[in-house]
Amino acid sequence: MTTTPFKDRPRIDAFDKVRGATAYAADIPVPGMLYAMLVPSVVAKGRIATLQVEDAINVPGVVRILTPDDFPPPPEPVRFPNADAPPTLHRDIAFRGQPIALVVAETLEAATEGAERVAATFETQPFAATKRSALAVREEARPTAFGDAGAALAQATMTVDVEYESPAQHHNPIELISTTAVWADGRLTIYEGTQFASGIKEVVARILRIDPGIVDVKSPSVGGAFGQKGWVQQQTAIIARAAMLLGRPVKLVTPRGQIFHLAKFRPNSTHHIKLGADAAGKMTGVHYVADQQQSRRGTFPPDYHAGPTRLYGIRNYYGGGLDYRIDTQPPGHMRAPHEHPACFAFECAVDELAYSLGADPVDFRIANDTRVDPQNGRPLSSRHLNECLSRGAQRFGWSKRTPKPGSMRAADGSLVGWGVASGIYPALVTATVATLRISADGTTRFTTTHHEFGQGIKTAIGAVLLDGLEIDAAKLDIVLGDTTAAPQQITAGSWGTFSVVPTAALAVERMRAAISELLAGRQVSGAIHQQLAAIRRPFLTVEVSLLGPGQDAAALERLRRGQYAVAGPTFPDFTAMSYIAHFVEVQVESTTRRIRMPRVVSVADCGRVVSPRTAVSQVRGGVVWAFGAALREVTEVDPRFGGFLNNDLADYVVPVNADIGEIDVDFIGEPDPVANSVGVKGLGEVAMVGASAAIVNAIFHATGKRLRELPVRIEHLL
Amino acid sequence: MRPFTYIRPATPQEAVGAFAEAGEGARFIAGGTTLYDLMKLTIERPAHLIDVTAVRGLDRIEMDGDRLRFGANAAMSAVAGDPTIGRDYPVLSEALWKAASQQLRNMATVGGNLLQRTRCMYFRNGGGGIYPCNKREPGSGCAAIGGLDRGQAVLGTSEACTAVSPGDWPVALVAMDASIEVLGPAGSRSLPVGDLYRLPGDTPHLEFTLGPGEMITAITVPKTPAGRLSTYHKIRDRESYAFALTSAAVALEMSGDRVEGARIALGGVATRPWRASEAEEVLIGHLLTPELALAAGQAAFRDARPGRHNSFKTELGARTITDALIIAAGRGRT
Ligand SMILES: Cc1cc2nc3c(=O)[nH]c(=O)nc-3n(C[C@H](O)[C@H](O)[C@H](O)COP(=O)(O)OP(=O)(O)OC[C@H]3O[C@@H](n4cnc5c(N)ncnc54)[C@H](O)[C@@H]3O)c2cc1C
Ligand code: SF4
Repeated sequence: MTTTPFKDRPRIDAFDKVRGATAYAADIPVPGMLYAMLVPSVVAKGRIATLQVEDAINVPGVVRILTPDDFPPPPEPVRFPNADAPPTLHRDIAFRGQPIALVVAETLEAATEGAERVAATFETQPFAATKRSALAVREEARPTAFGDAGAALAQATMTVDVEYESPAQHHNPIELISTTAVWADGRLTIYEGTQFASGIKEVVARILRIDPGIVDVKSPSVGGAFGQKGWVQQQTAIIARAAMLLGRPVKLVTPRGQIFHLAKFRPNSTHHIKLGADAAGKMTGVHYVADQQQSRRGTFPPDYHAGPTRLYGIRNYYGGGLDYRIDTQPPGHMRAPHEHPACFAFECAVDELAYSLGADPVDFRIANDTRVDPQNGRPLSSRHLNECLSRGAQRFGWSKRTPKPGSMRAADGSLVGWGVASGIYPALVTATVATLRISADGTTRFTTTHHEFGQGIKTAIGAVLLDGLEIDAAKLDIVLGDTTAAPQQITAGSWGTFSVVPTAALAVERMRAAISELLAGRQVSGAIHQQLAAIRRPFLTVEVSLLGPGQDAAALERLRRGQYAVAGPTFPDFTAMSYIAHFVEVQVESTTRRIRMPRVVSVADCGRVVSPRTAVSQVRGGVVWAFGAALREVTEVDPRFGGFLNNDLADYVVPVNADIGEIDVDFIGEPDPVANSVGVKGLGEVAMVGASAAIVNAIFHATGKRLRELPVRIEHLL
Repeated sequence: MRPFTYIRPATPQEAVGAFAEAGEGARFIAGGTTLYDLMKLTIERPAHLIDVTAVRGLDRIEMDGDRLRFGANAAMSAVAGDPTIGRDYPVLSEALWKAASQQLRNMATVGGNLLQRTRCMYFRNGGGGIYPCNKREPGSGCAAIGGLDRGQAVLGTSEACTAVSPGDWPVALVAMDASIEVLGPAGSRSLPVGDLYRLPGDTPHLEFTLGPGEMITAITVPKTPAGRLSTYHKIRDRESYAFALTSAAVALEMSGDRVEGARIALGGVATRPWRASEAEEVLIGHLLTPELALAAGQAAFRDARPGRHNSFKTELGARTITDALIIAAGRGRT
C-alpha cells in the first residue's frame, strides 16, 4: 500500500454546484409531465370510512385521483424494509400524514388544489403518540453483553447512574422528497434522490407486481440524504403506479410540511447508563439500557451498543435495547443513527464519572484505551483515538483549562466552558462493481456502485483515478446511483469510500496493466487517450468487482439483486472502527444565558484521507449537525393529537451560520494497514459522533449544570 | 392553491377603489412574504389580490419636519439600512435587521410587516382541521392552551387564545409612539400603531382594527432625542433568522445616569406589541443601575400568566429588558 497522502483537490462538482447546474432528480426535464400531490391523513390511527374525490376531479387540470383501490393487493408475505405496510395507498391508517390519495394534474397548482378538495372521513381508533402512552407496546431486543457487568459495577469504587434523553428529529435536507416516474416502451424509469437505487428497483417491482428487469432507477445527485433516503420511500411506488396507469410521466415533490410525516426520522430515545471505575481510574463495567420509540411494525433496531462497547477498554458490558411501539410512521436512520444518541449519552456519562473521580476528562479517556475489540477480543485494524485526543488537546489549548465548573470567564463576563468527547463509528464495506472506460477521444467514464449526495464520493473516486492514470480530468465522467450503469447498493453508514475507493484503485491497476499489455513495450508519449489513438484503439474497458474482507460471492449476488450486501465492523481477522475527538468551547451569557459555540477542534482517525477538502467539509458538517442536535433540533409531539407538530423550517430549528464558530479540523491520516488496499475507513458518520456530548460537557464546565435532555435550551440555564 | 384575480394599481386611490370593487375575498398584497405563505397553508384564501407595490411614491423614506415618515412600501432592508435611522434611531433599524433574513427583508415592506400573523404552530400547521384553533376556526377551541405552549404569550392572553404577536418592527414602533396613515373607502385617517392591534379576548380571529379596504400608506414616528439612546434587544432560539422568544425595544432620555424618560415595549411575550408602562415607571427619576434595570424588567411581567412550558419567558423577558436598558444607556457614553 502506498501511504503518500492524497493531495488537496477541489470538489469535482463544485463548479456545477455554485452555478446551480447540478441536476437533482426533480430537475430532470421530461416532456409531457404531470404533477402530483399527496393527500395526507389527518387522523393518527383508524380506517378511511369515506373518500370523496368528485370535488377534486372537477378542479380544472386535474387528470386522475388515485385511491387505495388503484393498487394491487400486497404480495405475500407482506415484508418490506422498515415499513408498517407496503408503501402504497391503504384504507387502514397507521400514522398521521399517511397518504390516502394522490391527485395528478396538468399543473402543480391544480394538483395542490385538488388535494385540498379530497374529502375523507375516518373511523378513528385510539392511538399511542409517545413512548409514555398507555397504548405503547414494550418490546425487548436481544442484549449485547460480555463479561459480568453486574459484578464489575458492584466492585467499582466509583459509579455514575444517569439517564439521558435524545428527542425525535427530522433530517430536513434542502432537497425535498421527490419521485418522477416515466412509463414508456414497456419500461418504468424512476428518477429519485435516493441512497439505494437498486433497492427501489426491486421493491417497487415487487409492490406493483412487475418484473424488476423492466425498472430503471436513477439518482443523479442527491441534495442531502443522511439516511432519510436510505430505503424505499412512502411515495415511490405510488408515483410509479400513477405513471403506469396514465401512460404519462408523473412528478411529485412533496411540500416541506408533509415530510415530517412522510419521511423517516430519528426516534426519541432514552439512555440509562450505569458506569463504574476502579480506584486506578480504569472503567470496569457498564450497564446501559436504551429504549426508543418505534412504529407498530418498524424494524429500525434499538441497538445502541456498537459504539459504546468499543470506545474504551471496558471488559464488562451489559447493553439492553427496548422498543416502545406506537402509532407513527417508522423511525429510521438519521446521520450516526445509533452512535450519535449513544455517544451523546455515554460520553456525557464518562465526563460525569471523570469529574466524580477528580480526573481530567482527556487524561481519563486516554487511560482507558484498548488495543482489542472488547466485544470479542479481535484485534483492531487500527486505532488512534488517543492520538486524536492528545493532538486535539494540544490544538485546542486544553492545558489552560481550569477544571472547576464556572471558573473561566470571557472578557464580556460570559461563562466559558471547555468540553471534550470521543466518537466512534463502525468501518463498514459493501460489495461493488465498476467499469472503467478510457477513450481515444479524450473521455473517461467510470461507472460503479454507490451514490453521490454531496458527501464527496465522486471527488474521492476522482482522486484515485486521476492520481493513478494519465487522463483528461475535464472529460472524466463518474456515473453513480444509476441502475442502468451498475448494480447499486445502499450508500450509507460511511461505507462509500471504504467500498468504492479500493474498487477504483483496482480498476486503475487493471487499466494500467491492460495498457502496458497493449503497448507491448512500445514507447508512446502523452496521456492514455493519445496512447490509444496512436495504437488505433477507440477505447479500452476494464471491469472489476470487489468484496469486503470476509465477503464471498453471495455478497456479489445480493448486490446484483438489490439486496443488502454490507459487511463489518467485525471481519474474520479484525474489527475496524473510525474514531474522533471533539473539543468545544461554549460561552454562556451571564444574564439571558444564550449559549454560543465560538470554537471547536475535531481530530479524526478515518484511516487514509482520500479527499482532504471534502473530508474537512464532512467533519465541519458533522459538528454543525451535532450542534443542532445538542442545542436546536426537536420534532415536537402533542400527545393529544399524535403525529408531529412542527412542520416547516421556521419551527423545526436547525442551526444558522451565525450560530457556528470556528471549526478546526485535523486528521491523523494513518492508513489502516489491513482493511483494504487504500487504507481508508469511514468518516461521514463518525464526524458528528460525540460532538453533542462535547458541547453538553462544555456547558457543564461553564455552568456546573448537568443537562441530560436534548436539545438544551435557554430556559434550562436561567 | 385556489385561483385568484390579480391587479397592480398605480395610485393609492385606485388601490382602495379596486378593493371596494372586488368585494368579498379581496386582499392587498405587498412583498407577499406573509400572504403567500398563509395561502399555501390554506389559512388565507383570497379571491382577489390587489398588489400595491406599483403604487407610486409609496416607498419613500422622509425625514424633514418633526416626524420620520416611511412609505408603507419601503422595503424592510431599505429602512434598516438607512444610515440616519441607524445612527439616530437604532431601535428602529435593529428591529428590522434582526427580523427574518436578508432575502425576506428585501421583499417585505414595512407596511405589510405590521399585519403579519401569529406563528402559533397549531394555527399554522392545522390544515385539514387537525387542531382546534379559535383564530382559524372561531369557536373551535384552542389547542395551544394545555398543549405545547413554549412559544406562547404570557401577557394579554385570554381563555380563547394565547398566540404571540410575532413582529419585531411593530414593537419598536409602539415604543417610539409611532402612528400609521390609512386610506380607506371613507377617506384617510391616522392612528397610533398601538391601536392597530386588538387583544384576543373572545374573538382572537379579529386581530387588527383596520376596516375593510383600508390601506396603510405610511408609518410616521415623532422625532425624539431618545432615539439615540435606544436599542432593540432580541433573544431567540438561534442567532439569526428566528422570531423572538423575548424582545425589548427601549429608548431612554437620560440626565447623566438618571433616567428622565423611558419607553419600553416588548415582543415575543404578548398577544400584541406590548408597551410596558409599569417598567417605565420604575425607572423614571432614578439612577439606572443593573439592579434597577432588573426591577423594571420584573415589573413588566407582574401580570404575566404563563402556561405549561413558557413560564421561563417571564424571567427571560425581565432579563432581556435589563440588558436592553444597559445597552441603550451605554449608547450615551460613546
Ligand atoms: C421565514 C420567515 C421568517 C420571518 N422572520 C421574521 C422575524 O424574525 N421578525 C419579524 O418581525 N418578521 C419576520 N417575518 C415576517 C416578515 O417580516 C413579514 O412577512 C413581512 O414583513 C410582511 O411584509 P410583506 O410586504 O411581504 O407583506 P405581505 O405578505 O404582502 O402582506 C402581509 C399582510 O399585510 C397586508 N398588506 C400589505 N400591504 C398592505 C398595505 N399597504 N395596507 C394594508 N394592508 C396591507 C396584506 O393583505 C397581508 O394581509 C418572517 C417571515 C418569514 C416568511
Ligand atoms: S393560541 Fe390562538 S392561534 Fe394558537 S391555537 Fe390557540 S386560538 Fe389558535
